[in-house]
Amino acid sequence: MTRPAEDGTVLDSVRRGDARALEELYRRHSSRLYALLLRMLREAADAEEVLQETFVDAWRRAREYAASRGSVEAWLITIARSRAIDRIRNRGARLRLVKQSEQMAPAEPAQPDAPDVHAQTRLRRALGTLPPEQRRAIELAYWDGLSQTEISRETGDPLGTVKTRVRLGLQRLAELLAG
Amino acid sequence: MAHQEFLDQVDAYALGALEPEEARALEQHLDSEGPHPLCEAALARAREAVATLATDLEPVAPPPRVWEGVSRAIAKGQEPAPRAPELPSIPEPASEAIRRLRPIPPWVYALAAAAVVVLIFAGINVREAHRAAAQASAAAAECRKELAETRIDALRKEDAIQLLLEPGTQLVALKSSPPAAGPVPPGSGIVLFNPRGRALFLGKSFEAQASHDYELWLIRDGKPLAAALLPPGPDGRVFTEVPSKVLTGVRPAAFAVSVEQKGGERDAPKGPIILTGAVAAP
Repeated sequence: MTRPAEDGTVLDSVRRGDARALEELYRRHSSRLYALLLRMLREAADAEEVLQETFVDAWRRAREYAASRGSVEAWLITIARSRAIDRIRNRGARLRLVKQSEQMAPAEPAQPDAPDVHAQTRLRRALGTLPPEQRRAIELAYWDGLSQTEISRETGDPLGTVKTRVRLGLQRLAELLAG
Repeated sequence: MAHQEFLDQVDAYALGALEPEEARALEQHLDSEGPHPLCEAALARAREAVATLATDLEPVAPPPRVWEGVSRAIAKGQEPAPRAPELPSIPEPASEAIRRLRPIPPWVYALAAAAVVVLIFAGINVREAHRAAAQASAAAAECRKELAETRIDALRKEDAIQLLLEPGTQLVALKSSPPAAGPVPPGSGIVLFNPRGRALFLGKSFEAQASHDYELWLIRDGKPLAAALLPPGPDGRVFTEVPSKVLTGVRPAAFAVSVEQKGGERDAPKGPIILTGAVAAP
């Protein structure tokens, strides 16, 4: 992940109530998080609202962050995805999202942060090596917020099989991306 | 929970693919059963892998209003206000939004009576809405803002009434506890609770406080469960949806509201309980 050490230092300042430090974290990570939320929620207004909630949450819960459980970026993504999944489940639109094939309308590209082309290539290559059923299970969970039970219902595969696919798929992905 | 059980589920947990009760079990394992360096390392690895999936997306700059909203919220020390949706160039008249609130079937007299209670709590005010619409022609910018708020208000009321009309929805009135005593104005509130997994809290006369938050609790099996923070609007009204994951499991016996330090409590109320209300048996 990008700048873990610097992010940790910045988060220390957030813990002490430094709003400018939060703004710095926002500057670094909001474009990536917003892209993620747009992809998950498919509605710009919802994505904006959840992005706002994510950073307010980060401000309030900065003391709960534990570096031993992942980087600051991973922590922010966890918060954002958790709130997005809550929203998806609340609005009961999961199946609609799964079946919705149209892409988002082109959004304003980010100016400050250029995409990490190398990381994207590496990720695509890693995803490409996963068996299709493992990849599908991970994508349904990641983008559409489905639980393993719901993936089982959606795909017709036994729950135990889905659990195995999620576990093996993510572990394989982690190994490939770390290597 | 055994370490191996945690390790077996940590990837699904990091993906957000566990059911709420399964996720809670993993969190409890990490938080209350001592340090677990191996489990924490596995969680870090899984989270990094999950985070990396986002790198496949082209970054998209969010509109400046998002940071402005964050900045306002942390300056106030409270939850961000509900978003003001983009208005069309010709905003929908408030009267149209309010007209949509009338589809209550006439034969549902009992529900209609309950709906009146909801409307009182949600604060319908037709005159104000009309006044805001009339001002739109004279002071467009200011009125757009007011109309946006009116529309949000109308949508909230519609949402509350729709929930009320759903089979099984119960209106739980929360009473002062202790009655109107202490330095904190208690406000008043109701919970619209549907056992199929939805609950809305509607309150009025809640005074926003710089150093405290109002927090809704759900009492289940004699134990409190943090349900949601209750940020009041500028008019003292509260409209909060309880996250569905909190509502899974055994039917709650009661709801309660306490006043807590900023950010609320996770495990049990530490501040004064100001409102309580029992959920009727099915």
